[in-house]
Amino acid sequence: MEKATVVVIGGGATGLGILRDLSMRGVKALLVEKNDLVNGASSRYHGLLHSGGRYAVKDQEAAKECIIENQIMRKIGKSCVEPCGGMFTRLDIDDEAYEEAWVKGCADSGIEATPITLDEAFKLEPRLSRKHVKSAYLVPDAAVDGFRMSWQLIDSSKRYGGQVKTYTEVIGFDTVNGELRGVKVRNQFTGEEYEIGCDIAVNAAGGWAAFVGKLAGVEIGVQPDKGTLIAFNQRIVNHVVNRLHKSSDGDIFVPHGSITILGTSSMSVPSPEDTSTSREEVESLIKIGEQTFEDLRDFRILRTFAGSRPLYIPPGGAIGRSASRGFAIVDHEQDGLKGLFTIVGGKFTTFRLMAEKMCNQICTKLNNTTPCRTAEEPLVEEVPQADKDRAKKFFPSYGVNLAATRLGVERFKKVVERLESEPESRELVCECENVTRAEVEEICKEDTSFIVNDVRRRTRIGMGTCQGNFCALRAAAVFADTGVESTAKDSLTRMKEFLQGRWKGIRPVLLGRTLRETEMTRAIYELSMAINNAQGGMNNAKNNS
Amino acid sequence: MSDIKAIFTGDRCLSCTACMANCPVMAAVKEYRGPKLVGPAHGRMHFSQEDVEESLNYCSNCKSCDRACPSGVAVSTLNMLQRAEYYKKHEHLRHEDMLAHGERMAKLIRKIPFGATFSNIGMSLGKTLGVFSALGLAGERNMPAYAATAFKDYFPRIKQTAVNKKIVMFTGCYINDNEPQVGEAFIKVMNANGCEVLIDKQFKCCGSPLVVTGFLDEARQHADNNVARILDWKRQGIPVVTPCTSCSLMLKEEYHELFGEDQFHEAAENVYDAFEFLEMLQERGEFNDNLKPLNQKFLYHVPCHLKSQAIGLPAQNILEEIGGVEVKTADAGCCGISGNYGFRKDKYEISMKIGAKLFERVKKKDFDKVISDCGTCRMQIHHGTEIKPVHPIEILAQAY
Repeated sequence: MEKATVVVIGGGATGLGILRDLSMRGVKALLVEKNDLVNGASSRYHGLLHSGGRYAVKDQEAAKECIIENQIMRKIGKSCVEPCGGMFTRLDIDDEAYEEAWVKGCADSGIEATPITLDEAFKLEPRLSRKHVKSAYLVPDAAVDGFRMSWQLIDSSKRYGGQVKTYTEVIGFDTVNGELRGVKVRNQFTGEEYEIGCDIAVNAAGGWAAFVGKLAGVEIGVQPDKGTLIAFNQRIVNHVVNRLHKSSDGDIFVPHGSITILGTSSMSVPSPEDTSTSREEVESLIKIGEQTFEDLRDFRILRTFAGSRPLYIPPGGAIGRSASRGFAIVDHEQDGLKGLFTIVGGKFTTFRLMAEKMCNQICTKLNNTTPCRTAEEPLVEEVPQADKDRAKKFFPSYGVNLAATRLGVERFKKVVERLESEPESRELVCECENVTRAEVEEICKEDTSFIVNDVRRRTRIGMGTCQGNFCALRAAAVFADTGVESTAKDSLTRMKEFLQGRWKGIRPVLLGRTLRETEMTRAIYELSMAINNAQGGMNNAKNNS
Repeated sequence: MSDIKAIFTGDRCLSCTACMANCPVMAAVKEYRGPKLVGPAHGRMHFSQEDVEESLNYCSNCKSCDRACPSGVAVSTLNMLQRAEYYKKHEHLRHEDMLAHGERMAKLIRKIPFGATFSNIGMSLGKTLGVFSALGLAGERNMPAYAATAFKDYFPRIKQTAVNKKIVMFTGCYINDNEPQVGEAFIKVMNANGCEVLIDKQFKCCGSPLVVTGFLDEARQHADNNVARILDWKRQGIPVVTPCTSCSLMLKEEYHELFGEDQFHEAAENVYDAFEFLEMLQERGEFNDNLKPLNQKFLYHVPCHLKSQAIGLPAQNILEEIGGVEVKTADAGCCGISGNYGFRKDKYEISMKIGAKLFERVKKKDFDKVISDCGTCRMQIHHGTEIKPVHPIEILAQAY
């Protein structure tokens, strides 16, 4: 039987943070995730690395945690963080008294909030509403790439012996006399069921924590709280732009790589699997957004997406916006199950701190006295400038740094070598996000790449303007050649599920340019390639002959 | 937000690749990554790092991409804006400076007695001695010869009857400095149509050669100057008409795409291509159709920058009013020279490769004359076939 000292359940930022922390302390840890990594709230969010400004009035403890972790993330996750800075803007319709409380809250929480003149604000953010914006402050917000951060967490964990199994769902716990012996899992592709022996298991399943708890017979108060976001095709803002008012829907704009994300809403939903979005939600977000950016409707929407915040609800606690964004650790020994922990709640910005606190408790149990080092050691080494310079010759322009941060030192080196020696590998699979065939092939070969969407999350293929229109076919073809044989051989299914994933986020925004784009996609795949009746077509041909 | 300014049009791109399929430069040189990538796609990436797309250099600004685009993306202008960004951090080469400033050069030469004659001798000597090649210019080409007298200086000597209906001629550098006979033909035609032609000496070069070589700030100065003049004429109810298609495109469309100011739009409403203007007179029943029959067949190379104006083929329409005239379009794509593009040493071969189809068509010689509204197109056809084309207005002038 496979064995680990600790099994971490859930491949979100929290779980990955725990895997890394434990591995660095020399604890043999294995992470299981029923889907691909960061498939829940850790990627389905606005990509904001909080300065804490958003919590400065309501929850100063969270605010203080944010500003400390913000600085740590910039240091250890340098290539995941875009230090674009943040701006808080109060509009004419917002409460002036709140501004006063906020300035004081920031000062008390140790968040540097620098007032700037409106002229400066409009210079920094030319698209801000001259009509509505009344005051502005700069804060040390930043944008953070949840995908990239998670892959780097794995790379870091693996260096210290950490293991990861994706598409591996927990289906039960093996306990003897109230003591945990192992975790029962099922491989999502093969259906194979087996047990992984362990002393301790950590339920870090986020929105799914209650389901995992149920398998062990323990109750966990977690309320999935759906937040819907809109991705725009361009950089509309240069900074993270927040509304200076009591936190509400649609009041954060984050420049995120080549796009801008506007979010979010807050809606209690029965299931964390509910990542649906609707035209009404989009409309309501835009309505609020255009108070800050009057010409918002002129910008093309790429897609919408939604994720569920796993809000921790202590017995009798509030839900929705009033629920705490803090986190909780539960030792289920109190429920009569020794060896199982649950960690729930919190936010992406503070995932490292959450992991540290969780691991401190685990290590106490394990009599491991190694101190936590996750705040000091960078996640990955930086790609040497010499490698980047060499890469420039073969990479598309504007592509070197992005690819270097996505791939990390070793993979980047391999990709550059391929580009050097095989000119045909220089062709672009994804023209919108500038992704070369060499990079896609490299990622297809990874042991976590089972479907094309897994490759998408790591390379950004299909995440740009055309939303998979041109790269779906190419990516599925490359995957068929270089991916895991068991799943890659069904290339038509792989391509369809990839396109369906893209369309899911497009359907609620089928308007204007987005609609035109989608009609072209439909024409290419449904008419020219007839992907939905290719089989039938062939059968018909057979019948006729 | 003005949706028409080029930088905002990138958002409309569907990535459909129509621009790449229609790009004559891509067909000629595989190193060019193409309009879609270099324009709208990279437009989304500029924030990510300081970088340069080397192959942007290949874009000739022929605007085939803009015409192919089903979504109205000003692809070529996005490229030109990006080129200007490049030159904010890089020095211009000497030949780029020369090619961008033809107007300045012509003025200098004319300050010397017999300057034009000497410089023409100098230019043919320069070609023989390989001086141009050393400067980075295409040594294979004849440099456009200077006319002894600039058209604007010669203009007052042309006798016109003063009438109420007046138009202002925007001569364009090439007609002013190199082919004043086209200007003369223009005046003859306009006079025959009851218009008195005025010249505005305050007009500067339209700026097209500046834009394509990345002198955007200077082009902006020209735009501000010219637009102020055009608006001044507009207030007096006098239209500005030009026989140069690249000039008219610049005045009508590119100023606004590049700089996005509303008054550029307003000015554009007062600018007409020569034959567009004549066609308008025709629609109003004011066109003088008292034309002598010519009995000639013409092969018409339609300049890219005329196609971009989306006004049809007014020259063909008007010339076919002349008895016995048959106008066949060459339908052979871009000639390849695209303003000063083909004059660069490193672009000469590309330019000739692009033009090959047209040259072949012209060499069939199933016509009496080749016509084309654009000065550099005419030079390219002459260079590629040794058949000298003329401006269609010269043909029309013969019929009056």
